[in-house]
Amino acid sequence: MTAVVDRPLVQPRLRRDRTRWAWGLGAVAVVVWSLAGAGLFSGDVANTAGTAQFGRFASAALSPELDGEFLGVLASSVLITVAYAALGAALAVVLGALGAVAVARTTWGPRRLRWTLTRGLLAVPRGLHEAVWGLLLVNVLGLDPWVGVLAIGIPYGAVTAKVFADLLDEVPRTAYSALRAAGAGPVPAALYGLLPPASGGLLSYSFYRLECAIRSAVVLGLIGAGGLGYQLSLSFSSLRWPQVWSCIYALSALCVLAVVAGRAVRLRVASPPSAGGRLRRDPLLTGAVLVTLALVVWSWWYLAISPATLVSDRTGVQLSYVLHAAWPPDAEGSFLREVGSAAVDTVQMSVIAIAVATVGAVLLAGVAAHPAGAVPGGRRLTGTVVRFALLILRAVPPPVWALVLLFVLRPGILPGALALGVYTLGVLGRLAAEATEELDPRPRAALAALGAGPVGGWLYGVLPAATGPVLGFALYRWEVAIRDTVLVGLLGAGGLGALLASRIARFDWGAVTTVLVALVLLTAAVDLISARARQAVR
Amino acid sequence: MRYGTTTALAGVALTVDAGERVAVLGPSGAGKSTLLAVANGSVTATAGRVEVLGTDPSGLHGRALRQLRARVGTVHQHLELVGQLRVVHNVNAGRLAEWPWWRSAWSLARPQGLPEALEALTRVDLADRAFERTDRLSGGQRQRVAVARLLVQRPELVLADEPASALDPALADRTLGLLAEVATTAGGALVASLHDPALALRHCTRVVGLVEGRVVLDAPTARLTAADLADFYGAPR
Repeated sequence: MTAVVDRPLVQPRLRRDRTRWAWGLGAVAVVVWSLAGAGLFSGDVANTAGTAQFGRFASAALSPELDGEFLGVLASSVLITVAYAALGAALAVVLGALGAVAVARTTWGPRRLRWTLTRGLLAVPRGLHEAVWGLLLVNVLGLDPWVGVLAIGIPYGAVTAKVFADLLDEVPRTAYSALRAAGAGPVPAALYGLLPPASGGLLSYSFYRLECAIRSAVVLGLIGAGGLGYQLSLSFSSLRWPQVWSCIYALSALCVLAVVAGRAVRLRVASPPSAGGRLRRDPLLTGAVLVTLALVVWSWWYLAISPATLVSDRTGVQLSYVLHAAWPPDAEGSFLREVGSAAVDTVQMSVIAIAVATVGAVLLAGVAAHPAGAVPGGRRLTGTVVRFALLILRAVPPPVWALVLLFVLRPGILPGALALGVYTLGVLGRLAAEATEELDPRPRAALAALGAGPVGGWLYGVLPAATGPVLGFALYRWEVAIRDTVLVGLLGAGGLGALLASRIARFDWGAVTTVLVALVLLTAAVDLISARARQAVR
Repeated sequence: MRYGTTTALAGVALTVDAGERVAVLGPSGAGKSTLLAVANGSVTATAGRVEVLGTDPSGLHGRALRQLRARVGTVHQHLELVGQLRVVHNVNAGRLAEWPWWRSAWSLARPQGLPEALEALTRVDLADRAFERTDRLSGGQRQRVAVARLLVQRPELVLADEPASALDPALADRTLGLLAEVATTAGGALVASLHDPALALRHCTRVVGLVEGRVVLDAPTARLTAADLADFYGAPR
């Protein structure tokens, strides 16, 4: 046996990771700044007078309106929402497929500058929320079903184009190059060498967009496009809480249906069953595609959409008027200051929202995760209740939560921020729970085996491993939240959204341009910061 | 012990007394890991009686169970360390049963019990890596972190599942020596599953051979030779 030489022990130093610490301290500072901006430290933010109304709202959860006539109305508004979502998503996929060709690396080859420019162009439609598109389009097209379809289709189309292009670019080049080398033209070579490996991803993403479109269709309803969102806002403004809850349950059911169907398709794409040597199409995927196509045709008929509106004289006149009035943008000093302070409000709202959602999600993730193995009945029941509550939180659009919170909070940026926060908690809570489920359970089991208590086991066995993914999700949701803040603002909660809504209402198109530019710049800045921060926490 | 339709252990009647150092040998799938998991209470036997340090763990809950578990230390086959934590925290995890929760939490910010943790790491030759992230370490180094965790836990019964599998012979020797020392210091026993008969003969007082969940060999080391154990590995399955 070898003798072990005794080395003098040099006390190692505890080195902190500087980048992470800088990001961490920066994040804390920004959250405190945002809370101060929301008036949390400086004044009375609660509105105690509204607690009774809030109580009536909450207690109606157990007695939703089940009257036959109302259910009929509800059913037809569900159909309208689904129709908007289907047409919007279909348009997005078509636009995305066309746009993908325009922004894929493959198309541009070595011409990097042109590729960067076309990519940059896509950031403009993507930076504007569907509801902003809705408000702008209403002023061009008037009250027409096209407004809803285009409001979903245009921003979604831009996102889809980017993702489709990325999917195509990720496919290994070898097969394509081999075909080109063998003399095939670029299009056939792409059809045989690029499309087949990418097709699964393209299909999955298309169905994911359909899921998202349902939520967007509801939101567009809130600003007047009809459907479930519209019904919800009608019932809300007439203070009929049982009806509101019926709408909320219908919304939740619709969201669950969309998620379950979308997930089934995506799972099938990810792990297709063996075809067994025969030329046979996958029945589930073929069925899903056919049903969706039928749904699109039906939606076209149900919404009575006519292409004539798009090319009518009135539309042309209105469009040219708006475009003329929108240039040059309003660059007056006092207005720019107003835009600046509205932008600060928007950032603060989104930061508070994400902070609230992240803290909540971390605390709830353990309970919301499906437990591995057998657990006591009480734990199982708590888990189900929490998962259901999270579902409700994310099914209801944030502006509705803002209205609910206005019962108990004074108007300002706090109700809007908290509304976004509870909505994002619904999303983030589920993501965090899934991240927890995917963790390797063995380290925690090992800690339990040496006698660690539940808190110790969680702190040492779960938290360190879950922090990275959960923070990554939170930063990604911050990008989404900054867009949603605009939506909450449109309906009155302040920030850039409120400013935009007021200028559109005044037909002050120059000012609208300025706000839109500010919005696109702000979302781009947030995307950049979030991407950097995600690299730091990885 | 059954997992679904698979019987992992059947007819194991085994008593380990204080002061013993038992090597469990057997081909893979023989039930070595299951035997150790039953002993540390992470799986419950589907039939038969289990007594660990004088208590049946299946009858215990909450604090009493945790107190019993704190007296049993395990080095797991796949180590089950938390890769994202610094080494010192993975070592200190051995004291989670002893520390109140707030001290465990505070320790993640300011490592507590640093002298003990560093001393344990020194004994496995890893003191200079104390503040490294555990997933930056090699397989053999991580194995030593797991042993250091055991050194600060100071359990009476030491269970080790293939503790020497990722180590070179010299380190394997030292590691088993350390595990035996932990058990002896606390006046308890060591039960280690091993693949290497030579290690078993050098460090253990007794050898138990398992094949398909049954004990086919149980003898004090003094009466065994390396040849006996080689025969045992050739036993018909």
